[in-house]
Parts: sequence; C-alpha cells; structure tokens
Amino acid sequence: MTTSNKEFDSFLAISAWLTGFEAIELQGTGMTSVYFSTLQKNITGANLEVFFAEARSVLLTAEKDPVAAKARTLSHLMQNSSFNNLAKQIILMWYIGQWFPEPAGDARNSTQINAQSYVESLMWPAADTHPPGAKQPGFGSWAERPIKVDTFNVTMGK
Amino acid sequence: MSENEYDVVVVGSGIAGAVLAKVLTQAGKTVLMLEAGLQAGMALKPEEDHANYQSYLERFYASTIKATNTPYPELKDALSINVLDIDAHTPYETGYMVQLGPLPFASDCLRAPGGTTMHWLGNVPRMLPNDFQMKTRYDQGVDWPISYADLVPYYEMAENEIGVAGDVTSQQGPDMNHTNYSRDYVFPMLKIPQSYQDQVWMKNTDGLDVFLYGKQYTVSCISMPQGRNSTPNDHYRYGTTVWDRASQSLKLTNNNEHYEVVGATWSGYTGERCEGNASCVPICPVQAKYNALKTLKKSDPDKIKIITQAVASQVLIEEGGSDVCGIMYKSYTDPNSIEYTGHIAKGKIYILACSAIENAKLLLASNVANTSDQVGRNLMDHLVLLTWGLLPEKGYPYRGPGCTTYIPTFRDGDFRKDFAAWISPIDNWGWSWPTFAPGSDVTEAVINKGMFGKDLRATLNANVPRQTLLHFECEQPPCPENRITISAKYKDRLDNYRPVIQYDASNYMRKSFQAAKKVSDQIFAANSIENFTVYSPSEPDYVTYDGQGYTFRGAGHIVGTHRMGTRADNSVVDKNQRTWDHKNLYLIGCGNMPTLGTSNPTLTMTALTYQAAESILKQLESIT
Repeated sequence: MTTSNKEFDSFLAISAWLTGFEAIELQGTGMTSVYFSTLQKNITGANLEVFFAEARSVLLTAEKDPVAAKARTLSHLMQNSSFNNLAKQIILMWYIGQWFPEPAGDARNSTQINAQSYVESLMWPAADTHPPGAKQPGFGSWAERPIKVDTFNVTMGK
Repeated sequence: MSENEYDVVVVGSGIAGAVLAKVLTQAGKTVLMLEAGLQAGMALKPEEDHANYQSYLERFYASTIKATNTPYPELKDALSINVLDIDAHTPYETGYMVQLGPLPFASDCLRAPGGTTMHWLGNVPRMLPNDFQMKTRYDQGVDWPISYADLVPYYEMAENEIGVAGDVTSQQGPDMNHTNYSRDYVFPMLKIPQSYQDQVWMKNTDGLDVFLYGKQYTVSCISMPQGRNSTPNDHYRYGTTVWDRASQSLKLTNNNEHYEVVGATWSGYTGERCEGNASCVPICPVQAKYNALKTLKKSDPDKIKIITQAVASQVLIEEGGSDVCGIMYKSYTDPNSIEYTGHIAKGKIYILACSAIENAKLLLASNVANTSDQVGRNLMDHLVLLTWGLLPEKGYPYRGPGCTTYIPTFRDGDFRKDFAAWISPIDNWGWSWPTFAPGSDVTEAVINKGMFGKDLRATLNANVPRQTLLHFECEQPPCPENRITISAKYKDRLDNYRPVIQYDASNYMRKSFQAAKKVSDQIFAANSIENFTVYSPSEPDYVTYDGQGYTFRGAGHIVGTHRMGTRADNSVVDKNQRTWDHKNLYLIGCGNMPTLGTSNPTLTMTALTYQAAESILKQLESIT
C-alpha cells in the first residue's frame, strides 16, 4: 500500500491536536503507522481526503488563533455529524488502542487493534501511570508519587 | 511405571494438587496427576514454559475486554467459568454454568495447569480463631471440626510454600494480635510496601471512629500479607516442609541462613521482586506473584507422572465394596473437538483437588461420597460491595499490587449474630472493577462530552489519579439451598456434566451491605471523598434491603461444596479431609471449608492441604 506522505503528516499533526499529546510523544509510541493504516482500512479514501483537508485548515488556524481553531474543531470535527465521528475515532484509537466503529450514544462496541496498541494506549500516561501488565515501574515504586518527565506542561524546545 | 503402580492419583494441578504432589513425591510416594488443561501450560523446559507464558500475556494485551480468565486459552472440552457470561436475568444457560438463580453466582475459577493461582490476586490473610466457631459464638452456620490452633503449624507450612510477604506485628484487629502467631514468628519476606494511595487514605482513616446501629467502632488500616516476592526477612528461619517418618508428621526444616526467593518457573532470576506491573489479576508478567506451578515443579520428577488434557469424568467404586478403584478420565487431543479416548487412572489413594465446582460435579456425577446429601450444597463466596469516589487529592492509583492495605475492623464482633462480617481491602486500581475505568472515562469525555486535545488530557489527568475504591468482602454463611447440582440436560462436548447453580443472598448478607454502606459513608466523609457509587437495578446481583438497593460482586472465593464436619451425616469429609464414605478417597480444596471467615480462602485451603497430606502419608505408610 502506498501512502501519501502528506496525508500521513496530516494524520500525525491532527492526532497531536486532537489528543493533546505532542507529535513526538505520539511518534514515541511507535503506533502512528499502525493507526494510520487502521484508518485507511476502515474509512473510504474520499472521506479521508475531505477530513484531512478540514484538519489542515484547523491546524493552520491553530498556528495563529488557537481559540478559533478550538471552536472550529468543536463545530466541524467533534459533532456527531462530523465525518461520521472520525475525529472521535482517532482520539479513542490513540487513548484506548481500540477501533470504535460507531462512537456515538451507546454504540461503544470496539475492537482491540493489536497487543501493542494496548501497551501504548495514551490513557495510562494521561493518568500518570502505566498500562497494567506492561512498562512496570519497579519494586516499591507505588509507595511514592509517580516519577514522570512532565512533557505536558513544558513545551518541547521552547 | 505402569498405570496401576501409583500410590496416589491426584485430580487437578492447582495449588492443592501441586502441594500434594510436591510433599508426597518428596516423601518417596508415586503420584499420577490428571489435569484437564493444555499440555503447553505444563511445559517443563524453560524455553517452552516461557514461550507459553508469553502467549498468555500476549492474549491479555490483545483482548478487547480484559477479565480474570482472559490470558488463558478457552477450551471447549474443559470449559472454565467466564465472569463475562454473568447475566442479571436468571435462569439462563449461556456459558459454562447453568444459572437457575434467583441470583446469578458471580465468581469464576480457571481450569488450566496451575489452576486459579494463575489469575489470583495473592492476598493471604489468615482466618481468625472465632471464624472456626461460628455456631458456638454467633449461632450462625456451623463450627469447624478443628480449631485455629490446630491449623497454626499448617498455616506456617502454607506461608512458607506460597512465600508470604507481610508484617506479623501489624496484624492487629478484632480477634487478631501477636498471639495468633507462634512466638517470634515472621513471614518469609518483609511486607510489600504500602501504596502512596494507602498513605493518603490512612491520614484520615486510621483511628477514625465510626458509628453503626448505635455502637462505636475505631477503624484501623494495616498491611496486607501477600503471596508475592518482596525482600527476604533475615529473621525467617524455615527452609521447606518435609515428611518426618519417625514422628509420622510434616515438619518445617530450618533454612541455610536465609530464605530463598522463588522466581519465575522458567528462570529463577525473573520475578525475584514484585516489579509493580499492577496486573496481578489476571496475570503477573514476571511471576513475582506465587502460582502453583512453582510448587508443582519442585515435585520429584522420578516419582510423578502428569497427564494433561485429561478430564476426570467419574470416580469408580469397587463392586460390592466402598473403596474407590479408579478414576475414569477422557483424553482429548484437540481441545475443541468432541473426540476423546477413555482411560482409567489407578492408585491406592485417590484425591480430588480440582476446585469446589469440579470436585462437587465429579462426586455427583459418580454418585459417591454423598451419604450426607451435602455434596454440592453450602456454596459460598464473599459477596463484595464496592464503594467508589474521588479523593480530594491525587492518590495515583493504577499502580502496584491490587491491595496493600486493609481495614480489619469488621472482621469479627458480636454483630456477626445479626449480619455478616467483612474485610475491607483498600483497592489500588482505581475504578477499574466497577466502571472499567479509565477506558470508560475516555469514552465518556470524548463520545458524550465531545472533549479533545489538551482539555481532554488535562481533565483525565485531574480526575483519574483521584479515583479510589473500597471493598467490603462480606462473609456468606452456609445455606443448603445455595448449591451445585447436575442434570442430564446440561452436558459439555465431552459428555461431562456442566455445573447447575442455585444461588441467593439472605437477609443476613443484605443487612451487611446496609451496614457496610453506612461505614463507607462515614469513611468517605472523613476523607472528603466525593461519592460516585451507583447501584443500578439492571446490574447482575442487584438486591434490596430496607428499601435501598445494593449491587454485590463475586470475589472468586468459591467455597463449601463438600464440607468437612464432625459426623458422616452432617458433612462429606472428616477433619482429615477424607470422605466419610470411602476410606481411600480424599477431597482437597476450598470445598472442604465449613464456613468462609473473612479471609481470602487460598491460604487456609493450602494449610488444610498440608494437614491432609500428612494424613494421606500416614495412611499410605499403614498400608505398605
């Protein structure tokens, strides 16, 4: 399968915007390609193209006016009517490591993407911990506050 | 060795079977062990053993829904109970168990090499002396035919084998202090460090006065003894348990200077300490948590034959007599095929050690050991009321073993005449049990609230680390109508019976839920915990008491289906755990426990197994 670099780059950039994790953190999971292929497998090409066009427009706005970009994300990407919830599917894929075919209302049937997508799911670092059964922090670590490098409140390289 | 040369036939390779195999073979006896699960799980070569265990871990990672038996292969020919099958609406027959109700039985166990110790949590508090005298002291249930004092030497053997990490001096509470232990006794390893969250809890909980039905109780928080590796205690003096032929008893030897930590079965250098995987249930990736395969693999290899993929189906009685003369079993090659070959295992003494569910099923299917009509009856569990909320500060849950601290305050007291006692573990794993958090927090924020980006991340970070959960594991007394039966209508693919369950929660239990919730409310208030507990009528095991609804959950403590007692007409086995009806048939496991107490039952069951092993050795030596 040939993938357009432009679309892949757009996927990574919009993933960072939608998840609240830096692109480098997302790349650090090693899951970007897997999730991009999951998207391509589940969403028809035409829909993806339109979605990425909208995503690029949001990201462009974000560079100058994050408040407007946030509003546009809410109105154009996060509505139930927005691209059949594609933005929500992307967020859930990163945070939970599962593909949600219809992330709306009570329709929460999902499928684990693979074993590694569990280990790398972002809900654990978001909660200042690690996925149960992986990335173990060592004997007695639980008796102290978690040790973490705070990438969330420190903007990389600035 | 040919098939009829064995001293003992043991059915089941869980902790009971493993302890028997180790003790009996090391005493020079020959053992034939039958195990229903896959050969791969029994691999003796380190590489194969490791590869198989990694396949368990990989299955756990890759499964969409993660439950207690998720890592382990599902075998159509030897089904395990799956907690995901539990349904609010009884009767139903989906899954392995047929649930007649009125309430569904909510606990599971595992049919695989190593048994349920593969997925157990590993909490190993001892029972209390009063737990053995429930009838005499509180007019509930029955007394045991043995006392706490009788069991103390065997508790020490069990704690040695499991490798308990804990602090004896802090085991203080109702009916519990240093006198519950031998003089100067220590556990093999120092206590598992108590979690950061425990320390947050203890600030406002340890020493808190609570009021319940007009009486005052002072709550305390103490460390939980656990079967997982920690730092060896230099003062621990024991080596291992051996048969002393001269005194016809089991004895703990002295160690050579220090306690030897037992690591993973594939490499002793893995799992020498708990590494904080926070996944004890359903799988410890490094086997720092004890499992029965550690014990089984110390059996004398020249004295044991293990046949896996062998499902025991009937206990055979000699014609015109009462002795057991064989155990019929069905061997399968493909665990999902209906094809099998039939065989008979032969020995001098027969031991069923394949769980309270399977032991009872096998006895009923064979119509043996049931003069008392107690087989399958008195099915018990801890009925677990959960309460959850948000701490005012981050406790940083989802880290460390499932429980490192517990509240012993309501384990014993006069109230046991009126409602059930409970143990209260403080849970280290957030709301994962009641709400499937943190996945549910993510779906709620994203799907329902449309959150994204840094707001989403910040919201999760502000809330999930404040999640906290308290258990109230309430002691279910024996009730003859809570029972396992069998029916020709319900069989599995190998034509073996499936368990048919009748189950309910009495008012004695329901009142304990009311009492527990009253205590929880006061503890939450003292800690400024914002309550998020919800009990919904649509959930399985939702019950009402005095106009209020409560949902209880299963603890996985399946107990009581072939109880021991004082007479052949009130019990299935005697105090040596030998069936009253057949002098060469022993039943081993939690099914023997006449009452449950408020302890996780594995430690006590293991102590009982040592006691039984001693009786079995005596009996073998008397006939050879």
